[in-house]
Amino acid sequence: MIARLYERRWRGFRVVDLGLFGFLMVLMLVVYLAKTFGGAERSQIAHVERQISDEKVRVRLLQAEVAHLEQPGRIEALSRQYLGLQPVSAKQEIKADALVTVSGGATHP
Amino acid sequence: MSLADLIPSRFPPGFRWVGGAVWRLEHAFERAKAKDRPEDNTRVRIFVVAMAFATVFCVLAIGATHAALFSDAGKGDGYAPVTPGARADLVDRNGQLLALDLTHYGLYLDPTEVWDTAQTKAQLARTVPGLDPARIDKALRSDKRYYLIGGLTPEDRDRIHDLGLPGLYFEEEEKRVYPLGTTASHLIGFTDSGGEGLAGVERALNDDVMQAAASHGQIPLSIDLRVQGALEEELRTAAEEFTPKGAVGIVTNVRTGEILGMASWPTFDPNQPGAATDDQRLNRAAASVFEMGSTFKGFTVAIGLDTGVATPGSKFDATHPFQLGYRTIHDYHGTNRILTLVDVFVHSSNIGTARLAESIGPQRLAHYFDALGLTRPATVELKESARPLTPKVWNEDAVASTSFGHGIDVSPLALAEAYGAVLNGGVYVPLTVKKLPEGAKVKGRRVFSESTTLTMLQIMRANVEDGTGTKADAPGLSVGGKTGTGEKFDPAIRGYSTSKQVSSFAAVFPTDGPPDAPRYFVLILMDEPHGTASTYGFSTGGWVAAPAAGRVIDRIAPFVGVQRHTPAPLAVAQYVTAGKYE
Repeated sequence: MIARLYERRWRGFRVVDLGLFGFLMVLMLVVYLAKTFGGAERSQIAHVERQISDEKVRVRLLQAEVAHLEQPGRIEALSRQYLGLQPVSAKQEIKADALVTVSGGATHP
Repeated sequence: MSLADLIPSRFPPGFRWVGGAVWRLEHAFERAKAKDRPEDNTRVRIFVVAMAFATVFCVLAIGATHAALFSDAGKGDGYAPVTPGARADLVDRNGQLLALDLTHYGLYLDPTEVWDTAQTKAQLARTVPGLDPARIDKALRSDKRYYLIGGLTPEDRDRIHDLGLPGLYFEEEEKRVYPLGTTASHLIGFTDSGGEGLAGVERALNDDVMQAAASHGQIPLSIDLRVQGALEEELRTAAEEFTPKGAVGIVTNVRTGEILGMASWPTFDPNQPGAATDDQRLNRAAASVFEMGSTFKGFTVAIGLDTGVATPGSKFDATHPFQLGYRTIHDYHGTNRILTLVDVFVHSSNIGTARLAESIGPQRLAHYFDALGLTRPATVELKESARPLTPKVWNEDAVASTSFGHGIDVSPLALAEAYGAVLNGGVYVPLTVKKLPEGAKVKGRRVFSESTTLTMLQIMRANVEDGTGTKADAPGLSVGGKTGTGEKFDPAIRGYSTSKQVSSFAAVFPTDGPPDAPRYFVLILMDEPHGTASTYGFSTGGWVAAPAAGRVIDRIAPFVGVQRHTPAPLAVAQYVTAGKYE
């Protein structure tokens, strides 16, 4: 039966050969489509990765800027100059359990 | 006869086998014809060719599948690969950023692509202020790609890019940036343009920083930025008031040896180390040595207690100057009376200290100074750590001088390290700029007994309550300390100057609690300060350094977790017999 199938012909071509040729064409099409879509996705991924990399550079830049702006000396100078603040003195410190004494024993109505 | 027979016998057997196989394949047709089956030859050839193609296809298929499924592409951490010379971030003990590599851009010009040289030159000169016009000319005359300028920020790059000039290219380059500017600059240090550490931690931990960069890690340092900020601010304020040649501030954890803050004044911006003078770049805390003066009395008194030569109540005759070796020793403020050991410390009596040192003897004094690390550079990672100047021979003259801090020059870091051993229960612990894990127990070398530490803490507290260090007191923080005023040797007069001094205050807080309790050492030192009207012209440690030390302690106590409390009465108070120091 296999031999008969192998010898079967259509317009002079073996049916088996035509079938395999068709299968080959389908495979080529599938590979082409897979590569095309894959390529598009790859370039999209590369684009996103580039964006992530750029963002990371920007984040580090911002971190450096925050560190620069939060320099202790700078904050202290600005606090003194614009807000009139100064380091807390010992007289301004109090323990939590002494708060009632400071508030004069006042209670909520 | 076969092809194998034509291959010389010196070739390995494998060659002969392959030769034989090719020969048999090539003569298969003749053999098949001889056997009257010529079709076998064609089939064999087709089979061999088909197998060869199949094998190659299989290899390619396996390779492609492996590349598609098991490739490392996209499995990274999203960062660019580590570039040569890359350095890890430096952070403080709480993770605050101190130093980092930032992506900058180098600008290149390809003159073969430039259409309008005049326009290119004019627009570049206008847009990139730091770019030398002569360099643009040179690049435009060149016949190949030319490096114009580096260190451009993304904003700079965008601005140049927006010019739309042909022939301009950018290449990424890493640049070390210190976002805190002058803050902790001497401790952090700086690098060269190639990413090699040249000073401070950058130099000391160069290899660690490079290795950590490979794993995108960070190097946490021992300093606390809040402590550093308070220390620098108070040091700057004091320096502006007393206009010294230089000033130093140090805060250490005496139990672990961690440096929590280290400041040297004047300071510099490590982003532009070349713009600073040598004097500004000098790390006076590590790289300078000073005759410390009376802060050394803390060591002499501790040695006297530890060796059993003296107790807090031991009496010393300070009624008249004392001759020891070639020196006649006087007191700065003569009390002219018999003093207890506590009085000697509280009134900073040179005579009493020298008499104590004489009892200790040269050998034992030298042994203890060596055990405290005072005869070697401070044990710390910083390469700048300076070698001390010590007496060549430990005789009576050396004893007389070194007992109160003359004739021996040490760095402020070495002083801090040695005081750590006095104050932490008696164990010599090396200083470190690296953050240690919470609760780390550092192994050290025992120098003093715990009871010596407890007595010294009380005596130092008594000095702040009644002695030369009263201006360093901070309410409820049980501050102890010792003033130091060392006259400087003046080569011009070949002797000690009466007007040039090194004034310091070595403080500790809290002085109460068990010997191994958390405890912090603070040193403020001024090199050649000038007295002001507010100090009645005095420029001694008690006037210029002690107040700054007190303010530093007042500010940093919350950061290091020391709470204000009512200090316990001092057991050594009974030995303060010479009255309050005025």
